[in-house]
Amino acid sequence: MGKAYILLADDEPNVLLTLKLVLESDGYEVVTADSAATAIALMNQPRRFDAILTDLNMEKEDIGLDVAREAAKLLPRPAIFIITGFASIENARAALKIQVEHFATKPIDLNDLMLTLNRLLHGRPSVGIQEGLIT
Amino acid sequence: MRNTAWQKQVLIVHPDLRILSSYQSLLSGNNFSVVVARDIPTTLLAITQHHCDLAIISSSIAEAGDGWTVAAVIKMAFPRSFIAVLAPGQDVLTLQAAINHGVQEIYDSEDSPDEVVKAILSSSTRNEAAADQTRVSHLQ
Repeated sequence: MGKAYILLADDEPNVLLTLKLVLESDGYEVVTADSAATAIALMNQPRRFDAILTDLNMEKEDIGLDVAREAAKLLPRPAIFIITGFASIENARAALKIQVEHFATKPIDLNDLMLTLNRLLHGRPSVGIQEGLIT
Repeated sequence: MRNTAWQKQVLIVHPDLRILSSYQSLLSGNNFSVVVARDIPTTLLAITQHHCDLAIISSSIAEAGDGWTVAAVIKMAFPRSFIAVLAPGQDVLTLQAAINHGVQEIYDSEDSPDEVVKAILSSSTRNEAAADQTRVSHLQ
């Protein structure tokens, strides 16, 4: 049985750890990155990610959009989530243009985040959820 | 009788009959097969009976903001469709609603149907080209 793989990018160690624990408790396999550069490097490795969750402001302002753009080029395309405490018309419009699946503002509503993640991944082929791993 | 087999299908959802009529006329002229709905029950019926390549939806059909949910339902039924929502203004919350409901583009409710249709046709063509390019680059 397969698991759904998630790449989680955030430069705040506490956020990274908390989200990792929450996602793992729901049955996901989580790989973390503490910068956009690390996240992009991980995306270019053979491992396939089913979802990519990224903060917006890491090495610099709105660099999470670069992570989202790189993620959008992957095939099969992972579900892309942007999580930010600094939403603006400019970065939200850029996220809409990239066609990310979810745009969440901090403080994160974990229930909403998990519901959306489960719904989006549930419909994807070859993800563990389909095999009954995640209920 | 018109052959609609190759025509793209558009669903327009708006409570204002005059606006519906404008969009219907403009899109028929651009070779779309057009289905219109003024309320949510008719929209749901249309989803069960017609394919949808493009949807243009008012963000407020019977109540403020109910168009976003309709957009999300259409996206779930037709994942490859291009969905445009007509909303009053473009603030962060509107953009966030668009993203989180699977909408491709938002336009100001005050924009003329002519402007919106031109922008949608240009935007949806760009989206298709980008999707094709991504597929090709991954095949190489």
